[in-house]
Amino acid sequence: MARWLGALAGAILLALLPVLLGFQPYALYLLASAFLWASVASAWNLLAYAGQISFGHAAFFGLGAYAGALSSLAGLSPWGAVLLGGLAGAGGAALIGLASQRLRGAYLALATLAYAEVCRGIVLNWSDVTGGGAGLIGIPALPAMAWLPAPITRGRAAGYYAALAILLAVLVLFALILRSRVGLAWAAVREEEARASVLGLRPLPWKLLAFALSGAFTGLGGALYAHLVRVVEPDLVFNRYYSILPLVMATFGGLHTLLGPAAAAVGLFLLSELVLHPIDPALNQLGYALALILGVLYWPGGLMGLLGRRRRVHP
Amino acid sequence: MSGALVGCFYALMALGFSMVLGVTRAFNLAHGELVVLGGYVGYWLWAGSGLPPLLLLPVAAAAVLPLGLLWQWLLERVPEPRELNSLAVTFGLSLLLQTLMRALWQGDYRLIADPVLTASLRLGPVSLNLGRVLVAAAALLVVGLLWLGLTRTRWGRAVRATSIDAQAAALLGIDVDAAARTTFLLALGLSGATGVLFATLHYIYPAAGVELTLMAIVLTIWAGVGRLRSILVAGILLGIIEAVSAAWAGPRWRETAVALLLLGSLLARSGGLAPGMSGAGHGR
Repeated sequence: MARWLGALAGAILLALLPVLLGFQPYALYLLASAFLWASVASAWNLLAYAGQISFGHAAFFGLGAYAGALSSLAGLSPWGAVLLGGLAGAGGAALIGLASQRLRGAYLALATLAYAEVCRGIVLNWSDVTGGGAGLIGIPALPAMAWLPAPITRGRAAGYYAALAILLAVLVLFALILRSRVGLAWAAVREEEARASVLGLRPLPWKLLAFALSGAFTGLGGALYAHLVRVVEPDLVFNRYYSILPLVMATFGGLHTLLGPAAAAVGLFLLSELVLHPIDPALNQLGYALALILGVLYWPGGLMGLLGRRRRVHP
Repeated sequence: MSGALVGCFYALMALGFSMVLGVTRAFNLAHGELVVLGGYVGYWLWAGSGLPPLLLLPVAAAAVLPLGLLWQWLLERVPEPRELNSLAVTFGLSLLLQTLMRALWQGDYRLIADPVLTASLRLGPVSLNLGRVLVAAAALLVVGLLWLGLTRTRWGRAVRATSIDAQAAALLGIDVDAAARTTFLLALGLSGATGVLFATLHYIYPAAGVELTLMAIVLTIWAGVGRLRSILVAGILLGIIEAVSAAWAGPRWRETAVALLLLGSLLARSGGLAPGMSGAGHGR
């Protein structure tokens, strides 16, 4: 109970933060981006909790961004378009999950990496629909909602609250899953898939659920990004960063944990944007690369903790 | 025919990746970036001094070689499961190298366009690009030398034993660390040298390595780890497939086709790369 109250207090604090910051556009933009990364990192962590390590979340982000942008340009309301982007992300993720159901560990990671490249290539070359390398421009901004007080739906504030909503949604869902049968099933599949199936648990539906949910939130993030930046390009939304950074952030923040990846995402993103970027623009990528290498090598357990197996080293 | 010549190059390019995987069970996702780095070093020397490209090969190899020690040092420390964690670490290394190359060479497209290489060679009815013939000849030569080294020398026996079972090899008194170290040095030096050849075939840019890495993985899946002759056959096959698909669908689908081949090969061979090498899915 106390935990839920704490979470509620945290959410209210985050909701009031723009007021405290005086609705400063740059600060709101920065925080909205940080929350977007935190959502993607948490969605990645959701899939990792079921034992599936993805190196291709850029695929789901990009699919969501393009689905959102295309449907919005076709006349759908931006809110509907963002939801549609989530659906596209879920569909794209379920597809690769289904195709690679027999792959484990590094081989699944490689398959998702290749999948992201394939998606990027298709969007890049199918220029009649996607605009090719030039991308799509003129995506409408999120509309103001009349029944809400004006300041929180204007300008950057709308993006801030939308990103915050996605982040809170994925965190609440994960918290609920952790204490439900779904969480138990995912942990069983992760720890020992063969044993889980002997005990009468069919791994495939649970894996697909994890892929679909993870892809849905990543796609929502992508579609929201498309409506905030209002332009999509293949190299922008299918960028390898959307595959690497969730991995970095979740490894750094602590795999399996509810808040770790999100906290690490906000921390690393703000550190890189506010400290490293002003020194030298090239440095912010350097920071993530070093964080990943050091995180795997020296963070307790590295990615191993995620497979939940602390194997004894044989002499 | 031209596809087959380029295919010899692909086989040579994939060797470094395959050797590292064989000896340490580590995936080197930064492999393509190392090749491109060798290409940039070669370009830089060629543009500065005008040396003939074949003389640049050893220089580029020597420039990338020292990184072998760093790579070995890092990949030795990767915790289990080694395949997955080595992917993560080398993913970071590839990002690092790309950033470095972008800082040093500003992301320009570079090509070693030596006049000797663009001349054409007539063999009866077919006319071939001399540069490609030279590249293929160099690839065949290196593969042949490597085959001799691996099958006819003490060092080769040590490396093969280490890649089959490092623990058993160590028990038999083989210096496993030395075998791994020399493999890394050789593999990375080879990658650097291949980079020069690559820069004579294609424009290079900092992100060009991604496609090369994917190709190396595809070839390793097709050929199995450390099988030199199979990798040559697989390379030639890939070169021909690439030439045919480029003629059919247009060159802009090249990268996508490689990624699709990788995805298809992984899905088709879900059991791991080669028996006894990968240990995918089961603890060893």
